[in-house]
Amino acid sequence: MKYILTRLAHMLIVLWAVGTILFFMFRLMPGTPLAAFIDNTTTAEQQQALIRQFGLDKSLGEQYWLFITNALQGDLGQSFFFKRPVTDVVMEVLPNTIILTMVSLVVAYVFGTLAGAYLAWHRGRWIEGIGIPLALTTRAAPEFWLGMVMLAVFAFGLGWFPAGGANTSGANFDSEWARIFSLDYLRHLALPAITLAVYLQGLPLLLMRSNMLEVLQEEFITMGRMKGLSNSTILLNHAARNALLPVATAFALGIGSAVGGNVVVETVFSWPGIGRLLVNAVSASDYPLAQGAFLIITFVLIIMNFIADITYHLLDPRVRFAASS
Amino acid sequence: MRNSLKRRGVLRCTAAIGLALGLGGVAATAQAEGDPVRAIELHSRTQAANPQQYQAAELIAQIWGDLGLDVSVNALPNTQLSDVVWYNRDTWDVTMWQMVGRPERSDPDEFVYNLFHSSTAPTGYNFVGWTNDEYDKIAEEQRLVIDPDKRLELITKAQELVNENQPYAFLVYPTKVFAFDKTVFDETTVTEQPGLGIKNFHTFTDITPLGEQTDLIMNSSNELNALNPFYISGASDSWMTELIWDRMMRIGSDGLPKPWAAETVEWNDDGTVLTMTLRDGMTWHDGEPVTVEDVVFSFTAPQQDMVAPMYQPFVSGITSIETPDDKTVVMTLDKPNAAFETSTLSKLNLVPKHVWGPIIDGLAEGESAESVLEETRIGSGPFKFDRWATQQEVVLDANPDHWAAPKIDRLILRVVLNVEAALGMLRSGEMNFMSDYTGDPQLLIEAADADGDLAVVESVDIGFQYVAFNARRAPFDDPAFRKALSTAINRELIRKAAWNGFAQTANSHVSPALSYWHATSTDDMETGMDLAKQMLSDAGYTIVDGKLHYPDGVTDQYAD
Repeated sequence: MKYILTRLAHMLIVLWAVGTILFFMFRLMPGTPLAAFIDNTTTAEQQQALIRQFGLDKSLGEQYWLFITNALQGDLGQSFFFKRPVTDVVMEVLPNTIILTMVSLVVAYVFGTLAGAYLAWHRGRWIEGIGIPLALTTRAAPEFWLGMVMLAVFAFGLGWFPAGGANTSGANFDSEWARIFSLDYLRHLALPAITLAVYLQGLPLLLMRSNMLEVLQEEFITMGRMKGLSNSTILLNHAARNALLPVATAFALGIGSAVGGNVVVETVFSWPGIGRLLVNAVSASDYPLAQGAFLIITFVLIIMNFIADITYHLLDPRVRFAASS
Repeated sequence: MRNSLKRRGVLRCTAAIGLALGLGGVAATAQAEGDPVRAIELHSRTQAANPQQYQAAELIAQIWGDLGLDVSVNALPNTQLSDVVWYNRDTWDVTMWQMVGRPERSDPDEFVYNLFHSSTAPTGYNFVGWTNDEYDKIAEEQRLVIDPDKRLELITKAQELVNENQPYAFLVYPTKVFAFDKTVFDETTVTEQPGLGIKNFHTFTDITPLGEQTDLIMNSSNELNALNPFYISGASDSWMTELIWDRMMRIGSDGLPKPWAAETVEWNDDGTVLTMTLRDGMTWHDGEPVTVEDVVFSFTAPQQDMVAPMYQPFVSGITSIETPDDKTVVMTLDKPNAAFETSTLSKLNLVPKHVWGPIIDGLAEGESAESVLEETRIGSGPFKFDRWATQQEVVLDANPDHWAAPKIDRLILRVVLNVEAALGMLRSGEMNFMSDYTGDPQLLIEAADADGDLAVVESVDIGFQYVAFNARRAPFDDPAFRKALSTAINRELIRKAAWNGFAQTANSHVSPALSYWHATSTDDMETGMDLAKQMLSDAGYTIVDGKLHYPDGVTDQYAD
C-alpha cells in the first residue's frame, strides 16, 4: 500500500515536471500562433484581439500560473486552432490511438516472444538463417515505406482491406462502442496495426531469443533435463518465464515509442489519432493543444509504466520479496 | 569598411591601368562601381511542403547567380517562413510566396487593393512594402466605380503599373487537376468554375448519379479546422460551410455574382442603396421559415466588435439595413463598393436568428462567435449537416426541400493526408471525386488512363506563385533592379521544370481565370539573360569579377 502511495506521488511530480517543460518549450519555439491565421484577412486590430483572446498578452509567469491551476482542475484550456476545449479534441481521437497502439503491441510482443523462444530453441538450424535476417530487416525498414508497401499490396493490389480511415465513408453506428466493435472498424484497423506490429516485433523477438539463450545455459535447466522433464515443460515453465522479464519492461517502454511512431502510421493510413493531432498542433503553434495532448500522453505512459511495474511483481517473486522486505 | 574602400581603390586602379594600356574593351567601358551587392537569401517553403516552389527557388538562385549575385535558398517550414516574412517585415530580402484562389477572390478587388495598397503595408497583405501613390489612387477608385467597363479600365491600369514596377516577379498560375468517376456520375452534370475547377458549389448541387452509388465521396488533404458560419477557417472548411449556409448571392459558373437567396438585387444610380427581395418559401434545416429579420441579423451581428472579427471588415461599410415589408431588405452603404456583391453578398452566411441570437447575447467577455460549437449546425442551404468525425470525415445530407435540391443523397468529405492513398482510393471506389489533389498531375492522368472509369479535369487557378522582393530594403527598392531580376527568369523553364508543365506563365495579380478582368497587355513579358544584364548596366549596376556591384557611390546599408 505504502509502495503504491509513493508511486502515486512520483507520478504527480513527473506530470508536473513534464507539464512545466512543455509549457516553456512551446513558447520558446520559433513561430507564432498567429501565423496559422494569416492567410485570412486579418488586420492589426484583429491580430491584437487574437493575442488577447489567446491570453498571450499576459506575462509568461501569469500564463504559467493559469496553466498549472487550470490543469489541476482538469482544464487544459482551449485550442487556438480548433477553438474547442483541448480535452474534448484529444478525447475524441485518443481511443483510436490507444486501440491501434495496444493491438499492434500485443500482436508484436506475442509473436516476437514466441518466435524468439522458438529461434533460441532451434539455435543453429536453417530456420535461424532465415528468421534473424528477416527480423532485422523488418525492424530497420522505415514505417512509411512499410505502410506504402502494405497499401500497394493488400489494399490496391488484392483489395482485401480499405486504404484509409477508421470506418467506411458515411457508415452509421448506434454508439461509439458499436463503432469500435464493428467488423468495419476491424477491417480498417488491420493494415495500420499490422504495419506497426511488423515494425515493433523485432525488438521482443531478438530480446527474447538472446535471453533464452542465456537462461538455457543456466544450471537449473540442466537440472530440469536431468529430472527428465519434457522439452515443453522446460521451455515454457522454466526457461521462458525467466527470459520474459526484460521483455515485459520493453513492452511498457514500447508503449511510449509506439505512440511516437504512430504519427507516421496514422498519416499513411489516414488513421484518426493523437499523433496527427500533435503534428498539426505543433506546426500551428497551438500551445494549449500541443501541451495538453503531450500531457495526456504522458499521463497514459505513466499509468502504463505503473501497470508494468505491478506486472513485474506478479511475474518475478524476487522483486516482490525485495519490495516487501 | 576601410578594407572594402581600399579594395575598391585597388580595383579602380587596375581599371585605370587597363584603360591606359588599352587592354580589353571591357575595361575601356567600365564605369566606376559602388559596393558589391551582399549575399542574398531566397526564402522558400521546404521541398517536402511545396516541391514545385522549392525547385523554382533553386532554379532562380542559379539564374541570378549568372547576374553576379550570390544567392542561397533558405527553405523554412510554413509557420517559420510566415514568422519571418509576415511578422518581421524589414528583416528579409526575397522570398518565394503564393496567393491561393478562393471563391470570393473571383472579384479582382481583394488582390488589387490588399496586395499593393499602402494602407496594408505595415501589417496587412502588402508584406513586400511596395507603395506607389498612383497605384493607391487606382486601387481606391476601382472600388467606387460600379460600371464594369469603367472599372475594367482601372483594373487594367493597376495591372500595367504592377508590370512596370515588378514588385513581384510573377512565375505561374498553377493548373489544378481534379478527377471523378464517370461511371458513377453523369459527366455532363459537372460544372467548371473559372479559377476553382470542378470542385465548386454548382457541381455539388447539380452532379447526378448514374446508378446505385448516390453518395459523393471526396477528399481533403488537410485536417479540418471548424465548421462555423461566423468563422473563416481552413480552406477545406469553406467547401462545407458554403453548402450548409446559403448566401444572398452566389458566384456563378462564369465567375460573376448571381442572385441566390435574394431573388432580385437592385442598386440605385450612385451605387449606395441596395434593394433585395428574399426568395419565397425558404426554410431553415430545423423547419422554421427564413425571414427578412434573419437576413438583417446575418449582416448586423458581425458588425459588432468581437462577434465575428473575420467577417467584420466585409459589413463595416453598411450604414443601415431596413425591411420595408416581409420580403424586402434595403441596405445603405457609406460609399459605393464595386466588390460588394462578391465580397459581401456572396460571402456572408445567412444564419437563423432564433438559433444564433441567444448564443451571441450570451457570449462572455473576450469570447467571439468563432469559438461557439453549434451541435446541430442549422443553415438553409442545399445540404444539411449530419456529422463530423474529427480527422476522419464530414457527412452532409441532401436537403430535398431546397429549391436547388441536390441530386445526390449525401456528400462526404474524407480527410486523406497521404496523396498516394487518395489516388488508390479513387481507383478502388472508396472515393469517387478527387477534390484536393496535391501530387504530381501526371500521375493522376496516368492513373485515369489505366483505370478507364475516371475523368480528369484541369483548371487554371485564380491564385499564383511568385517571387516577392522586399521593397523596404535596397537594392530591392529600385524598380530597375527588380525588373532586371524578374527579366532574367525564364518563365517557360520554370513552368516546365518546376511545375512539370501544369501551370500557365504569369505576369499579373489578376489571373486569366478571371478572363473579364485580366489584362492581356501584360502577358508578353520579354525575358532573357542578356536583356537583364543590359537593364542592370543601364541602371548603373556593374559586374566586376563576376560579382554584381551597386551604381557608383552607393554603399550597401544591409551588408553584414
